[in-house]
Amino acid sequence: MSTFIIIVVAAAFINNAVLVQCYGICPFLGVSKKMSGSLGMGLAVTLVMAITCLVTYPIYNFVLVKLHIEYLEIIVFIFVIAALVQMIEKAIKKFVPPLYNMMGIYLPLITTNCAVLGVAETVMDASTMMADLGIQAFGLGSAVLYGIFTGIGFTIAICIMSGLREKVDALTIPKSLKGFGITMVTASFMAMAFYVFALVV
Amino acid sequence: MINTILCGSVNWASVGLVLGLIAGLAVVLTLLILLVTKICHIQEDEKVVKVLEHLAGANCGGCGYSGCEGFAKGLCSGKASLGDCKVTSNSEKQIIANIANLDFAADSPTVAVVKCSGGKGATNKFEYVGYPDCVNEMVFHKGRKLCTTACLGDGSCASVCPIGAIKVNENGVAFVDKEICTSCGACIKKCPKMCIERIPASAPVYVACNSKCRGKEVMAQCQNGCIGCGLCAKNCTQKAITMVDNLPVIDYNLCTGCKTCVSKCPRKCIKEF
Repeated sequence: MSTFIIIVVAAAFINNAVLVQCYGICPFLGVSKKMSGSLGMGLAVTLVMAITCLVTYPIYNFVLVKLHIEYLEIIVFIFVIAALVQMIEKAIKKFVPPLYNMMGIYLPLITTNCAVLGVAETVMDASTMMADLGIQAFGLGSAVLYGIFTGIGFTIAICIMSGLREKVDALTIPKSLKGFGITMVTASFMAMAFYVFALVV
Repeated sequence: MINTILCGSVNWASVGLVLGLIAGLAVVLTLLILLVTKICHIQEDEKVVKVLEHLAGANCGGCGYSGCEGFAKGLCSGKASLGDCKVTSNSEKQIIANIANLDFAADSPTVAVVKCSGGKGATNKFEYVGYPDCVNEMVFHKGRKLCTTACLGDGSCASVCPIGAIKVNENGVAFVDKEICTSCGACIKKCPKMCIERIPASAPVYVACNSKCRGKEVMAQCQNGCIGCGLCAKNCTQKAITMVDNLPVIDYNLCTGCKTCVSKCPRKCIKEF
């Protein structure tokens, strides 16, 4: 149970993909104008991250490590994730049309977003580190959990951002700060707030 | 020699392993994608696919849908209108309208026109010797002209025009070449005096003055400005001209292009287009 809580808090808050690790800034700034759009984006990212961890964990540990070619991880991960997302998109379109409509164009757009690749790297680093220490606790289940909650952390960040942006749009802002400027200032304050979570550990 | 240096340190076994792995991955993934595509194939609405082919494909979301595909579906189900898309060209929209049986009226072409003929005839308050740019000049007492709406003739509009359709003529007033103008509106946004506007490209005449002052004030400010006498409105054979705020307003739907107003105007500020 404590492992579960540690993984959740570490993935969603302490190592928040956007605000702490600075991954996935382009969807974070690009799709955060409206709450509905950012929810769809967050959902798509969560799904893709879960699949990423589910697939890359065995590939890394049972193929790349065994063959001593860990340095190929980025190429292999991009290959596999991009192909899988294509397949998943088609499957969702066929079997769950409402979900497909909700995620819209976002699912294929984030196939190999840096946040997605980043979570794969983070998980593989963590598992290698654990294995070196002789701890076998960080298995496939933990990896997938980490992926899901990194996605949820991304959703939380992008939803807070879009809520703030909807409010900020209604305010009078100096001309030089309008639009992108005030968005960056908002993002920096949010990042500062999230950095406090790092003090928890 | 070089060959031995380069090849001596290469571990050909691992190169083969890597190449084999990548190639194998590519083949396996391609087959998997093909398989999934085959299983999950959906019979798409033919109309939607055809409409999608003719849309701009920018996926910009300006229409309110999440992408061009959603917009195409909206068009075919009658929920969206072609006017919502600003990116697709008029000719493509016409084709889409034929495919999806939609009503579509292309916007009639417009061109920009400068509503001022003052130039040297407009009295100066002072001499401006700074950098020749209207926006700069506006900083000093809103420009050197006595008339508050006169074209300053420094060519801010000409510098911002993406296709070079605007030139400042010998009288010191900006002039738009209607053969080149695409009505993009860059000059309209730039002009600090707001004396450029769009009129139909087929318009036979236009009013080259923007001053809403009374006749007496205009006489003091400018030799070419409209004094609001209303002769054009009285003499118009089609009753297409009305006087609003001491300026004639031409209804281009009624105008037949007889050019009576051009000959009657005592200040020569209604001009042939």
